[in-house]
Amino acid sequence: MLLLVGLLVLSIAIAGCAQEEKKPEATPTPKPEKTAPQETPEKKPEVETLYFGAPISLTGKYSKEGQMSLWGMQVAAKWINEVHGGIKVGNKIYRVEIKYYDDESNKEKISGIIERLAVQDGVKFMLAPYSSGLTLAAAPVAEKYGVLMNSHGGASDYIFEQGYYYVVQTLSPASKYQTGFLEMIKNIDPDAKRVAMIYEDTEFSRSVFRAAKEYAEANGFEVVFDKTYPKGVQDLSPILNELKATNPDIIIGGGHFADGQLLTSQLAELKINVKAISILVAPALPKYYDALGTKAEGICAPAQWEVGVTYGPEAAKKLGMDYYGPTQDEFLKLFKEVSGSDEKPSYHAAEGAAAVLSYAYAIEKAQSLEPEKVREAMNNIEFMSLYGVWKIDPETGKQIGHDMVIIQWQGGTKKIIWPEAAANSDPYYPIPTWEEKEQGKLAKH
Amino acid sequence: MVVPEHLVSNLFYGALLGSVYGVATMGLSLIFGVLRIVNVGHGAFIMLGAFTAFWMFTLYSVIPILSIPIALIFGLALGFVIFYSTIKRLIDAPELSTLLATFAIGIFIEEVAKFVWGSDYVGFSWNIGTLYLGPITVPYTKLLAFVCSAAIAGLLYIWFTRTKLGTAIRAVVEDREGAMVCGINVGRIYSVSFAIGIGLTVLSGVLVTLFVPVGINVYMGPDYTLKGFVIAVLGGLGSPWGAFIAGFLFGLFENGSYTILGMIPGVEPFALTRFVAFVFLLIILLLKPTGLLGGE
Repeated sequence: MLLLVGLLVLSIAIAGCAQEEKKPEATPTPKPEKTAPQETPEKKPEVETLYFGAPISLTGKYSKEGQMSLWGMQVAAKWINEVHGGIKVGNKIYRVEIKYYDDESNKEKISGIIERLAVQDGVKFMLAPYSSGLTLAAAPVAEKYGVLMNSHGGASDYIFEQGYYYVVQTLSPASKYQTGFLEMIKNIDPDAKRVAMIYEDTEFSRSVFRAAKEYAEANGFEVVFDKTYPKGVQDLSPILNELKATNPDIIIGGGHFADGQLLTSQLAELKINVKAISILVAPALPKYYDALGTKAEGICAPAQWEVGVTYGPEAAKKLGMDYYGPTQDEFLKLFKEVSGSDEKPSYHAAEGAAAVLSYAYAIEKAQSLEPEKVREAMNNIEFMSLYGVWKIDPETGKQIGHDMVIIQWQGGTKKIIWPEAAANSDPYYPIPTWEEKEQGKLAKH
Repeated sequence: MVVPEHLVSNLFYGALLGSVYGVATMGLSLIFGVLRIVNVGHGAFIMLGAFTAFWMFTLYSVIPILSIPIALIFGLALGFVIFYSTIKRLIDAPELSTLLATFAIGIFIEEVAKFVWGSDYVGFSWNIGTLYLGPITVPYTKLLAFVCSAAIAGLLYIWFTRTKLGTAIRAVVEDREGAMVCGINVGRIYSVSFAIGIGLTVLSGVLVTLFVPVGINVYMGPDYTLKGFVIAVLGGLGSPWGAFIAGFLFGLFENGSYTILGMIPGVEPFALTRFVAFVFLLIILLLKPTGLLGGE
């Protein structure tokens, strides 16, 4: 009996020694934090946590978009960890976690947060802040520390013209925002030539409309009006007064939320009737219709993504590329779990999710956690997620695979009308006049 | 030639907008005049007024005109609460303390509002027809905003000049110690003036929604705060009536200058309208450093 107990004690002691000896082997990579060092004799893959860092606008003027993008990122991380089984690199499995700090929608906060993430937290993969302005503030810092930064809410082309190597883009660049709408008009009414452009005087809108103007002129449109209004404007009457006199066929314009609503409201007040209107950002949100009622009928907007788009494994197969990430139904289900609300995900959520997925996909392709190797791998990848195609221009990091969709408010619901492949309704053209809308006419087929 | 037509209509729109600016600044001016406190959180109270109009309309179908007295009462109550909880302790405190306190109150209100209402851009549609008058196309709601603004400014003027309390407030503005010697309860005047100032500001939020019924958001305030400061200085800080006239002129200049600037080739007129309005401010201050209706 005594012998038996002695043997048991001895075996435990040996086992303890063996474990102690193994310890140093488990810590050759100091940066990613270890959560469960399960080194077992059967060579089960090691599970570690990989942090993706993000400055998120949880307060301040971008708090809405910031919250949405964070939920999107967390949904993607949840999918990677729970459905996909983590990111596999060699013999290791990485669980993804989003490490974020509130940037208060404030440009001055950004560089400090990126620095903190890169230096103190040792994060190698950043998700850029929301908006072009904040992304522009973040990019030089990420570049300085040689960490990758993925823009999911900074559309401005300008960011990618600065020669940054570590900055890549997931969403369509600003230059593509209004060209799809013009292409659609050209297809359905070749006689509509006179285009008026009226937009917010910000970096984002300027790059959208610079590209739109080039596209319009190259495609036989005549730009009859091209003027900006300042940020935070309360009355657009003077500029709309001038626009009215140019007698345009179509109007493209806008900037962000408040001015987009204001523009629609005042076009209605001044009874400026045209055949089609496309406004940036604002109409893509459900509150737009709540705020404007029937005035919103027939108004179009470009959108990065919309619930109901037809991207999925089938579509990817047709294009001969991988599908990576949750399907749309899975995404909606996970989103509900993560956000804990019944609110539908906006495109900001899909963008955030796609950025996280692109990192995971690229890391698996590169089989490395070195930012440089992952960036190199990104040059050659092309895949589809629920958000659409992901492919970057190797030189600038600008997104070239993803396509914008165009939505139109038809009978109180948002319909996808362009491109034809993604559409769930035909364009309503020409749109009802403001007077007709006042009488209750809807832009419904 | 369309230029004269544009000028006429733009001046008209400018006058309407200016009257709303005016009422939106009167509260700021009154509080400064009586308490010598610059309310940096001014815009947050305008936001509260805009949301009052929005919720009354969406939840109870109360038209914005009827929301005006509701907003005034709400603002008065809020003003008393803030006065007795914070401002009272700060009356003779250094300027920086009052600046920080009002700044903090503004942020607090915005963030509580965001917590309760969310950060969506909301709006409502109250359609009562449109007036067509030559080159001018204007919805009646905007005309109503103008009429209400002018009426409120007028009523306030009468109240200040014809009532005992109004006269007492003016006495405190002119000479605090002198008023005290005459037996005026200065402490009470402080609380009443602060409450009226906040009440007016919240009320002006309703007028703002009559003018622009969309884009209502918890962070809409700061744009109005900035313009409010300019207009208050222009009108002579501490003179609510001056603030109203200055607001009116500011609106005229902002919109009117658009037409003239638009005739210069290669110029983005809208970007310059504010510049012109600020130059106008500078000129007035050069000529009369105390503002339009400011004292010596």
